[in-house]
Amino acid sequence: MDLTLFLQQFLNGLSIGSVYAIFALGYTLVFSILGIINFAHGAVFTLGAYFTYALMGGAFGFNGLWANARIPVQLPFAVALILGSVMAGLVGVIVERVAFLPLRRRHSDTLLTVVSSLGVAVAIANIIQYLVGAEIYTFPANTYGYLPAAINFGTADKPIPIRTVQIVIFAVSVAIVTVLTYLINFTKFGKAMQAVAEDATTSSLLGIDTETYIVLTFFVSSFLAGLAGSLVGSSVSIAGPYFGIAFGLKGLAVIVLGGLGSIPGAVLGGFIIGLVEAFVPGDFSAYKDAVAFAILFIMLLVRPQGLFGRRLIQKV
Amino acid sequence: MKKPPARPTALFVTCALLLIACSQTNTPQTSTTVSAGTSPSPATSSEGSAAGNSSAIPVGVGVAQTSNVALLGQEQVAGAKIAQKYFNDKGGVDGTPIRLVFQDTGGDEQGTINAFNTLINQDKVVGIVGPTLSQQAFSADPIADRAKVPVIAPSNTAKGIPQIGDYVARVSAPVAVVAPNAVKAALKQNPNIKKVAVFFAQNDAFSKSETETFQTTVKDMGLELATVQKFLTTDTDFQSQATNAINVNPDLIIISGLAADGGNLIKQLRELGYKGAIIGGNGLNTSNVFPVCKALCDGVLIAQAYSPEYENEVNKAFREAYRAQFKKEPPQFSAQAFTGVQVFVESLKALNAQSKVSEKPLAELRTNLNQQLLRGKYDTPLGEISFTHEGEINQKEFYVARIKMEADGNNGKFEFLK
Repeated sequence: MDLTLFLQQFLNGLSIGSVYAIFALGYTLVFSILGIINFAHGAVFTLGAYFTYALMGGAFGFNGLWANARIPVQLPFAVALILGSVMAGLVGVIVERVAFLPLRRRHSDTLLTVVSSLGVAVAIANIIQYLVGAEIYTFPANTYGYLPAAINFGTADKPIPIRTVQIVIFAVSVAIVTVLTYLINFTKFGKAMQAVAEDATTSSLLGIDTETYIVLTFFVSSFLAGLAGSLVGSSVSIAGPYFGIAFGLKGLAVIVLGGLGSIPGAVLGGFIIGLVEAFVPGDFSAYKDAVAFAILFIMLLVRPQGLFGRRLIQKV
Repeated sequence: MKKPPARPTALFVTCALLLIACSQTNTPQTSTTVSAGTSPSPATSSEGSAAGNSSAIPVGVGVAQTSNVALLGQEQVAGAKIAQKYFNDKGGVDGTPIRLVFQDTGGDEQGTINAFNTLINQDKVVGIVGPTLSQQAFSADPIADRAKVPVIAPSNTAKGIPQIGDYVARVSAPVAVVAPNAVKAALKQNPNIKKVAVFFAQNDAFSKSETETFQTTVKDMGLELATVQKFLTTDTDFQSQATNAINVNPDLIIISGLAADGGNLIKQLRELGYKGAIIGGNGLNTSNVFPVCKALCDGVLIAQAYSPEYENEVNKAFREAYRAQFKKEPPQFSAQAFTGVQVFVESLKALNAQSKVSEKPLAELRTNLNQQLLRGKYDTPLGEISFTHEGEINQKEFYVARIKMEADGNNGKFEFLK
């Protein structure tokens, strides 16, 4: 592999890795608080993309209850992105109240919670299809204004083109990680969240409203899912109601690699998986997912707590 | 923050693997476009023997109305419904209307088996149009064959479909017949094509079957197969594969995939600077690809088994009905589903001319219907078709279309090459 191709694939890996990272952040936030994986995260990711598309004035197709429907507003992408992500965040809160809270109150087994969130994911996908059909929806051509489709990081002789939308996603993911890190480590909200994550019962005795923080965590997590879905949708279109499933699975590999519940781990895990996938040889390029999950298995065997996870100490 | 206990972690991984198994995308075995009009109404069972005790003759439609294959199934539902209205308006089977009974197969094999069983045993249909995918057909068609229920495959183009059994026929021309036309058209446009890069969806039986045909055609024409890149139908990011392909400087790229993945691949190839010719396989033969790659779809060549512009009475009526309802040209998937229903209706009419179908026991009617449909010749939206004794379609008309996008990139159409 010559240097140009290596650099090209390295940048490709960073760009897709940033998508995985931003997706996995939401996963890891919920895990850090409740110790469970929210399988509905991928469905909320999908919803966020639909919300943003609709807020930009996108029309729906000929199938479903809302055939040909169009919201009578045409917001700019940046505004629609924020609003759509907020709406996704609110959906996340509803998911928590419907799928997680009743089971938490009954102290149900973790497996039941996982199954419950899986059920919600399937329900959301089917509701989407019922309302707007299974068509592919694409964001308007001027979503990113007049930016070029790709930017050349090489020379005229040896071009290294990277799609502009991928650069935007990378920049946004870096910004989100920065903001989230600050939020969790340097604000009252973050400290309370960490306290709830460490021990919900004790936090409650110390006056922290644990339920409120669980709801807020779901909101932030789903906001991030909606944001990621919208950004990815703007890059590759919304490929139907099951759009988020593949990302949901990849997100699992990312957070196990990075360390369940670790924010830096989610980011690093995303970039590692993205880079490894980018360097999978062409003949095996359909096996990128297999490579990602092979890494997951190796990590589970060698370091079950992940790169940034802490080893579990059991009192005996 | 909390750390993962080992057991839940293992559990989550297990769940993930189960999900992977569940989420493998089966892919369509033909081309298509968007949408049917409305969601199909749920099936209602018809009592007793086929046409016997009910006022309408029940014909089953078992296609994917949910799952990631729904995009294709919806188009088939649209075509079938237009056929139902068209033929019933013309008097149905000598005054007896047909009634389509829809069962959703979902996107997997088990769902298809369930749907077929319901259509056969509960809804007591005389025949079935379906399923959407070849993978599904290989699982469910043997059930219909054993029950001696005729099946017309509207979109299964993989090798071996008619050979599943005596009761299985198809109105979807096999890919080996259709695909090479596109390569010939590309060479006609640019005789200097030498190097070819091929992309195909590794997780889709049809795409694998199609790419074999394309690769054989490329070699047979003396062209250099410079690289073969694989992807999954669930993929959205193709930058690494596109980079690998562009790196070998191909003159032509051939893609066997579906609308979403194939459209994204086209988009990313063009954005990364590829300027050569592109051929899309059957899975990209749908207007659903337009919104994905927008203006960048322009110029893509696609071989077709259906042209909306085909001049005959039934296609004119079908095209008008489709355009009135959906405001766009009908896709191949809808046309093939329409054709499937048409074959059943015309075969029933031919049988009825010999002896009243309403008086036949269901089992006998199904067997007679299967024999009759293989004997007949049909003037359909696909052109004149008939079947071999195995149930393979004999079709004369094939086309190559070039995607022509409007300047703003929002709308496009298939321009059929002469």
